[in-house]
Amino acid sequence: MNLTINNSSVPIPDEQRLEPLVWVLRDTLGLVGTRYGCGIGVCGACNVLMDGKVVRSCQTMTETAIGKTIITLEGLAVGDELHPVQQAFLENPLQCCWCMTGHIMNAVELLEANKQPSPEQIDDAMNDNYCRCGGYNTIRANVERASEIASLQPASKRLVIRRKT
Amino acid sequence: MKRAAKPKPDAATRWKTTRRRFLIAAGSLGVLSIGGYFGLEAGRPLLVDRIEGGGAPSSPAPSNPNLWFEIKEGNIIFYAPKFEMGQGIQSALAQIAAEELEVDWQSLELRQPNSQHGFAPSFMFTFGSTSVKDLFKPIREMAASLREMLRTEAALQMGIDASSIDIKNGVCSLKTDSSKTLSYGAVVAAKKGEWVLPKTPPALKAKNQFTTIGKPLSRLDAKSKVTGQAVYSMDAQAKGMLFGAVARAPRFGAKLETARAGQAESQVGVVKVVLDVANNFAGVVAQTRTQARNALKFLELTWTGGTSISQAEIDTLVTAKAGSGVVIRNRGQSNLQGDVVTASYRTPFAAHAHLEPLAALANVKEKSIDVWVGTQAASSDESAIKKAVPGDRSIKIYPMQMGGSFGRKGSQTAAPEAARLSAAVGKPVHVAWTREEEMQQSFYRPPTNTLLQGTLENGTIKAIQQVTASGDILFSVIPIPAFIKNTIGFDFGVLSGQFLPYNIANYQVRNQRVDLPIPTGPWRGVGLMPNVFALECFMDELAVAAKTDPLEFRLKHTNNPRMKAVLEDVRTRSGWATQAPIGSARGVAYCTAVGTYVAMVVEIRLEGKQIIVERVTVSIDTGIVVSPSNAALQAKGSVVMGLSSTLLEKITIENGAVVQTNFKDYPLLTLKATPKTIEVHFMDSSEPPSGMGEPVIGPVPAAVANALFALNGQRLRELPLAL
Ligand code: FES
Ligand code: FES
Repeated sequence: MNLTINNSSVPIPDEQRLEPLVWVLRDTLGLVGTRYGCGIGVCGACNVLMDGKVVRSCQTMTETAIGKTIITLEGLAVGDELHPVQQAFLENPLQCCWCMTGHIMNAVELLEANKQPSPEQIDDAMNDNYCRCGGYNTIRANVERASEIASLQPASKRLVIRRKT
Repeated sequence: MKRAAKPKPDAATRWKTTRRRFLIAAGSLGVLSIGGYFGLEAGRPLLVDRIEGGGAPSSPAPSNPNLWFEIKEGNIIFYAPKFEMGQGIQSALAQIAAEELEVDWQSLELRQPNSQHGFAPSFMFTFGSTSVKDLFKPIREMAASLREMLRTEAALQMGIDASSIDIKNGVCSLKTDSSKTLSYGAVVAAKKGEWVLPKTPPALKAKNQFTTIGKPLSRLDAKSKVTGQAVYSMDAQAKGMLFGAVARAPRFGAKLETARAGQAESQVGVVKVVLDVANNFAGVVAQTRTQARNALKFLELTWTGGTSISQAEIDTLVTAKAGSGVVIRNRGQSNLQGDVVTASYRTPFAAHAHLEPLAALANVKEKSIDVWVGTQAASSDESAIKKAVPGDRSIKIYPMQMGGSFGRKGSQTAAPEAARLSAAVGKPVHVAWTREEEMQQSFYRPPTNTLLQGTLENGTIKAIQQVTASGDILFSVIPIPAFIKNTIGFDFGVLSGQFLPYNIANYQVRNQRVDLPIPTGPWRGVGLMPNVFALECFMDELAVAAKTDPLEFRLKHTNNPRMKAVLEDVRTRSGWATQAPIGSARGVAYCTAVGTYVAMVVEIRLEGKQIIVERVTVSIDTGIVVSPSNAALQAKGSVVMGLSSTLLEKITIENGAVVQTNFKDYPLLTLKATPKTIEVHFMDSSEPPSGMGEPVIGPVPAAVANALFALNGQRLRELPLAL
């Protein structure tokens, strides 16, 4: 079984077909930027992009990712160039940051669909991820900032996540 | 793609003590190292002082430092004995160090200490908002001495007088000719012979000379975190590692009676089933984490004993009774006369809900045990590991980044579990707890009940009697025999925030210890938030009885200038004197904790039975603010965590077990429920820094409850607040 993760095709042992994707990413592939927080789909720490849409990797059987394009936190930057959302979180970090991947992935999906979200739209899109350290207002501000950074990018690069090649 | 967390063998450094309590590494050419040894009372490295006696000549130090700098060509490494759990402590300490060292703070390479550098894990701890407070002065003293040694040596190498040298950004230059320079690294590289400390300690900068301390700098670890490169305990990996899972008792205190592997052994991926009934342990090691957890279900285990206590029984036990418990403060007359205002407040069990559950990687070999774990107290881990894996092995602990802790990782058991399983299979084993395990098998913020009775005279407080009943906090983490606990009669952790910080002529406080069969322990601020909830709601109730504005009432009962200043500041900033928006109301609360003064005003409205918090204004005096951006994050994060406790969080017990299982029945505050405006203001101060990790959580629930009373006259005295 092969998965397409961050633009490379990666072999996965067959017996892990029915394991939650979060553990295959973390333990088998060492892509530890995808976090675990609850395992039941509530906290959002395990968010990854599957064909450009946020999914909870703790709720995703590994085999359902076959043939899909998975992007994890590690795959957002292009070379040394951080994704605008990463850039915003770098400028204005959270605290322990265990939750951060989830917020970043949510924001990437939001900005893909809506380059200039209103504060209400940000609240709606970002509400389903926990931050126990309480960085919610930093998160709100960072999504606005990321939208601003993205708007300054040349039009050719406006596509904020890399598509399947 | 594997991320190895290999121990890096360090060449043994020989340290020698100096006349002034610092240690200098001897005999390593090309490196200048200077350090100190910080025990529980950081800032007073007693051991080294004692060894030095009356200024005996330098001799090899019998101990190693636990905080030190290493300067060599190309970089400056700063080892600081504090663990990162999101509070930004490493960055804050770097800011302090860079100030006197005269370097760009970002040029410091920060390393977390580990026990491989030779110091005992018993001195590795991070708790109680003490890091900046305790290390503020010693770090600056050490950095200043280091700078002066470099200046002296640079002068020698340039053949000029030390007073002709300017230092900036880690470069020594000639005052009269700035083209003549020597970097710190170059000075160290060219040094011949041993380094000596300056005879007299260099003077430290005054606050108005600071260029790094107090600047809103970002964090050193931000880049590694946004790119997924930071390594937390759940991320630790080693070559050939396996994964472990451990069976849990169905109720607190239950012991394994019988254990059989059953079908577990034949499950896919299972490497070994480890059963040890005598030590109450049953676990599985497998090729993957999911396989290990799956196999657990096939173990055939029976459990015996334990508690079957219910929440109703616990509530009865945790009932403060007038006149019971131990008197811990007695001022003036202890009897109440006249009209007595009486109120009783309750707080429930609560979970830490740190987002990264416990995790550890252990590699047990014949002679050694290496452990990678996020911890607030490496010493307790070490003794737990020793107990789990008997034998004569040297234990090395590598503290990892923590995805939150809030007290939880001060006594965690993932490390001994991983060690036990690793010993059984002879390979590195990683154990990570599930959220369900965290929710149901942890220790909790203890339930409390506070009974307050007070009388007024001419609009001021005449007398107060207080009884605080609480489950244990620190007794559970400090190994104290039961008889001593019973003799002392109260737990020290409950003291945090337990006294009304106001002028009250007649004030008696009793502390009633409740020994529960449910594990309880430190949670952010220990006793602070439950205590302040009761005390500051009661202040409001007294203010109402005295027909006085609650903020005015507080001011009237203090002459502490710092306390007055934050109360007055929050009054102005929150617009306290103005009318709240229609349908909204404001509440105030105050606390002092770990040397920090906090006044808070909260503005709320109601949507049906739902309390909506609109705005929070906080004024804080924490002395000199070392890292304003981190301090503000700590304050805002405390507000959010406090609101979560105020509005949502409650653990309940039935049949000796926790009812809640995960975030679906123990929800946390989300982004939408978080007020968009959390305004934090730090008072300008030249006092030494005090703690910032905990104090701001103190006043949150009381401020909300007081606002609710102001809004609709309803007085809620139990957390979480439910209309
Ligand atoms: S770990 Fe997947 S949602 Fe929490
Ligand atoms: S920063 Fe710690 S959980 Fe969000």
